[in-house]
Amino acid sequence: MLRCSSSIAVTAGVGVCHTQRLLCSLSLPLNYTFSHSLRNPLLSSNSAFLKWNRNINSKINRFRMATRALAQPLQNADELINSVETFIFDCDGVIWKGDSLIEGVPETLDMLRSKGKRLVFVTNNSTKSRKQYGKKFETLGLNVSAEEIFASSFAVAAYLKSIDFPKDKKVYVIGEDGILKELELAGYQYLGGPEDGGKKIELKPGFLMEHDEDVGAVVVGFDRYFNYYKIQYGTLCIRENPGCLFIATNRDAVTHLTDAQEWAGGGSMVGALSGSCQREPLVVGKPSTFMMDYLANEFGISKSQICMVGDRLDTDILFGQNGGCKTLLVLSGVTSLSTLQSPNNSIQPDFYTNKISDFLSLKAAAV
Amino acid sequence: MSQFQRSLRFSRSFSLRLRRLYLGVIWKGDELIDGASQTIHMLRSKGKKLVFVTNNSWKSRSQYAEKFKSLGISVSQDEIFSSSFAAAMYLKVNSFPPQNKVYVIGGDGILDELQLAGFTAFGGPGDADKTIDWKQNSIFEHDKSVGAVVVGIDPKINYYKLQYGTLCIRENPGCLFIATNRDAVGHMTASQEWPGAGCMVAAICGSTQKEPVVVGKPSTFMMEFLLKKFNLSCSKMCMVGDRLDTDILFGQNAGCKTLLVLSGCTTQSDLQDPSNNIQPDYYASKISDMLDLLEA
Repeated sequence: MLRCSSSIAVTAGVGVCHTQRLLCSLSLPLNYTFSHSLRNPLLSSNSAFLKWNRNINSKINRFRMATRALAQPLQNADELINSVETFIFDCDGVIWKGDSLIEGVPETLDMLRSKGKRLVFVTNNSTKSRKQYGKKFETLGLNVSAEEIFASSFAVAAYLKSIDFPKDKKVYVIGEDGILKELELAGYQYLGGPEDGGKKIELKPGFLMEHDEDVGAVVVGFDRYFNYYKIQYGTLCIRENPGCLFIATNRDAVTHLTDAQEWAGGGSMVGALSGSCQREPLVVGKPSTFMMDYLANEFGISKSQICMVGDRLDTDILFGQNGGCKTLLVLSGVTSLSTLQSPNNSIQPDFYTNKISDFLSLKAAAV
Repeated sequence: MSQFQRSLRFSRSFSLRLRRLYLGVIWKGDELIDGASQTIHMLRSKGKKLVFVTNNSWKSRSQYAEKFKSLGISVSQDEIFSSSFAAAMYLKVNSFPPQNKVYVIGGDGILDELQLAGFTAFGGPGDADKTIDWKQNSIFEHDKSVGAVVVGIDPKINYYKLQYGTLCIRENPGCLFIATNRDAVGHMTASQEWPGAGCMVAAICGSTQKEPVVVGKPSTFMMEFLLKKFNLSCSKMCMVGDRLDTDILFGQNAGCKTLLVLSGCTTQSDLQDPSNNIQPDYYASKISDMLDLLEA
């Protein structure tokens, strides 16, 4: 419990007093073992613990509001660039919007690479695998390899690997193709996915829905083919298969599938399963630090040498803060300056700027 | 904790009895619980007012009255308070402007009650087969005059409905988010549990980051509405139910007497377990015990 409280003190600081948001922000040890999940209070809906969480959260929130400085407009780009080894970029709203590249991105990435900086791309969007994202980057004329991309679909497979999820157990997927591809690559058996979107139920007297008792994990992510069949299947697995894990790729309320408007995001599907199972999921995507810990370990980088660049306060910036690295908010995506500066907002990145190509223009100005 | 027989004297003074409608008190699936019909008849003959309260929003009140009729019990729809009816009454009581529309994620029960109350409601089962054009330049439109989104149990839930409800709540200024109830489990068939309204409501909470107004149990909205409607005080009321955390708590929150029946999902050992701290005033194995004990 002491470990939990110290990590809460470091990582808390959310604008919204949502219990699940605080749970999302706690990082998972890489050598986390399967059996621990049954004892870890963070993973069960322990209402006394959750109430304590909420109290601590609101106290720490007030403390953070008093002590964290307001975000500064980025002026000396050189100083920021020289102070870190690695840049982590969110994708939607930072690199592209829908299927269109944001102005100045290729030149900015080239400049950072020429200065020897490591570039990593972390996205909560689980619809594609990292390989499929690699293709998207290629189509947009950007030189980025699949190994530099960490989508939440990949994070699911990486998490299961990190806990030695047994290969004879199956994974039920409420989500899209990206998750299925990553599970397959990692050697896991799965059920569900988009195909279950066509399954109908006849709620007649005497009808009984069966489910596979070998399902050891239910993974929930953004799903355009969401339906009652999947909700019931996932619920039965979580409720009735002993030790079954409930994993969420992310809990983003809305996502930008098209650049014209917002779309109900993964937070909706995860909310549905959480509501029917009355359990909180293990979140592998931002703002949980799982992906940060994973890539820091993978590339041997220290978090103080990282700058997280994103367009969302409650996922990207919180992810960076929870991980203990520098944070830069860009206004080319979902967050406007007035949202950042609103009295209702308590998440303050270190810096903010219009778009990542400001690295180039601010550099030029500083010379 | 007193046994029912010893306190029968108190029960005679009640002029109103509130009954939890479905599984576990009056019926189980499509079968009437033993003696339920005779008990209801006896209470009526003693001049007791009977009210049937259910969190299930799938049917309208008149459809529930039909179900009672098919089981051989005469109950008028004015005696039934479903959460579908509660949603319509909430809008009425709060003077929802009739020129504003209501978007429904749920069944015909909710649509019917809203329309009966004079509101313009759309969505519901009709949106079950709607698909979305995912091309980059297409726009998902929504009606800007929607002033409330009502969410209840919906086995036909899909992305279209989630997106429609989300856009209304996020983008229409002042749009209300109303939940019929938040039960995790719904009883769509008798053979197993199914995701309840709590699931659909949580989905919309997840995409809007807003909490709904809940009109069903254990919220006291229905109780307050009933008390006003029948001009009664709680001391003359007894809530009869089979669930401690909704029915009995609902009754206790409102300040009326409570009777737990063991014919549903709560057993005597659940009730007497040291971890349980919801204690009804009385308990009995089923409602017809009232009949047996009176005749004894």
